[in-house]
Amino acid sequence: MVELGFQQADLLPLAPEIAILGSALLILLIDSFSRGKHGKAAVAIAAASVAAAFAASLALYGTTAEAFGGTFVVDGFSLFFNVAILLVTALVVVSSLDYLEEFYPEGADELTEYVVLLLFATAGMMLMASSRSLVTAFIALELAALPSYALVAFAKRNRASIEGGMKYFVLGALSSAFLLYGISLVYGATGAFDFVAIADAIAAGDVEPGVLSLGSLLVLFGLAFKVAAVPFHVWAPDAYTGAPTTIAAFVSSASKIAGFVLLFRLFTTAFPAEVDWVYAAIVLSVVTMTYGNFAAAVQDSVKRMLAYSSIAHAGYALIAVAVFSAEATGDSAFALGAGMSHLLVYGLMNTGAFLVVALVDDYYGAGYTFEDYAGLGRKMPAVGLAMAVFMLSLAGLPTGGGFVSKLVLFAGAVNSGFWWLALLGGVNSALSLYYYTRVLKWMWVEEAPEDQVELDRKPLALYASILFAAVATVALLFAFAPVIETATAAAEALLE
Amino acid sequence: MSDWIAIAAMVVVAGGLPIGVVLVSRLLRPSVPERQKQKTYESGEVPTGDTRIRFSIQYYLVAMMFLVFDVEVVLLIPWAVYLVQDPSTYVPAFVFIVILFIGMGWAWRNGAIQWIRPKGRERVRPRDV
Repeated sequence: MVELGFQQADLLPLAPEIAILGSALLILLIDSFSRGKHGKAAVAIAAASVAAAFAASLALYGTTAEAFGGTFVVDGFSLFFNVAILLVTALVVVSSLDYLEEFYPEGADELTEYVVLLLFATAGMMLMASSRSLVTAFIALELAALPSYALVAFAKRNRASIEGGMKYFVLGALSSAFLLYGISLVYGATGAFDFVAIADAIAAGDVEPGVLSLGSLLVLFGLAFKVAAVPFHVWAPDAYTGAPTTIAAFVSSASKIAGFVLLFRLFTTAFPAEVDWVYAAIVLSVVTMTYGNFAAAVQDSVKRMLAYSSIAHAGYALIAVAVFSAEATGDSAFALGAGMSHLLVYGLMNTGAFLVVALVDDYYGAGYTFEDYAGLGRKMPAVGLAMAVFMLSLAGLPTGGGFVSKLVLFAGAVNSGFWWLALLGGVNSALSLYYYTRVLKWMWVEEAPEDQVELDRKPLALYASILFAAVATVALLFAFAPVIETATAAAEALLE
Repeated sequence: MSDWIAIAAMVVVAGGLPIGVVLVSRLLRPSVPERQKQKTYESGEVPTGDTRIRFSIQYYLVAMMFLVFDVEVVLLIPWAVYLVQDPSTYVPAFVFIVILFIGMGWAWRNGAIQWIRPKGRERVRPRDV
């Protein structure tokens, strides 16, 4: 008999998720009973809950627990990603305080809805990291995706925002359909939703291989949509460009990280190498990083360039699963750990870079092209330096954690015998240097035009978020060893 | 196998019934061809305008709120059946309903149910005209 009532012990490991969801409901309640809107109070509650969830995730570290009949599992792997997602959310929540007030006339009022949607999406992403059943994974994914669609279209009087939201919604719905159909085929072949039970059914050999292969491929494609891997990336540049820039930062960082958690956990625990999904992952990885870099190189808009760069980074992160093999568990765990730490570093530096765009493009209204950034580095040295850290770290130069995380990622590929994949990644990184340094050339080398906008206002929260992301990115260059050790240990525990 | 025979019989009956009805009525009824009958809906009304009309987005909001409680019923009926065997399941179901009510209360407070009055048009009572 299935136990329907929950035990109290089930709730403790889910404390981070409960903190986030509870504060979202609290903001809704306050908003229902108060006379006016209290956007700033909502931001404060959200920041407190993110901090609480962060502390809870760190406190839970080292424990492994199952909840709700094994559909949720809290282990080092899920907590590592909780931390990465919460870091991005914290940066986005804090920077939204200045950003929205400036970008929308009614900003401070509408902040409550914005914050609640952000918290729901964050909770969905954290649940994606912990779910170990196809059904809960799908529900968590929808909980993360539906608020994201609304957030992308949040600037509802801006046509680009509506267009981006519409494209994101339609293609997101399509990808959910892919995913659901894949799930139904996997269930039909194995008779199980639980990842471990699926692996057991495959190991027992009593499955229809064609149905299983097709199902797992469709699931892979559905998740490839979520992480914006080529050729499932078409929504990403438009959605990121149209969205309010803080939301572009959130969707391109946190949402991508969450898609990768599910991809990593599902494919390494449920389909270990019996199905040939690895080849599809290799093709996706190669195509994604190459296309992302070439498309980023020809962009005029900095925000679009960052959108394509985030596609290219999805390609790098896919290396972590592309080199997976069920036989060499140690090598696979190292590659997976490298992918996890790369995603953590990527979350910080990518969010930071988008926040700089939020400051320059939206807050100051300087414009969206490379030329509009002329001379800004010397006018705002702190932001200029932060942008230099982000750009060079994204390219893989040793100004930030991006250098080491890419290094271990490629080292993981070489360890697993995929030296050519590492070589391709290296060539792509060298190529990416061109467009990343292009921003810096305009910011630092070129002279500012006479008629440039005034930069006299100081948005404190936005500045603080950018500087925090920059400092954390640089710090990860020196403190990378504990990160990669934790990630590899979590990956080893996952692959056992 | 006998189960499938029953289903096949149902398919035959369900498919045959409408066909049979149309055929029989065709045999029995008098044939009076007329141009009005060729029109859409066959109602004698002349169809006007496009089918793609704009309607208020409020219908969408109401439909969304309906959907939430529609799904709630689907989830609560199995729980209600199970409640007799395990009364402790009362708690999670209660939390679930409370969460739904918070959402509905918030939407209500923010005017999702409040129907917009047409603006800029004086209300004229028929008697005054």
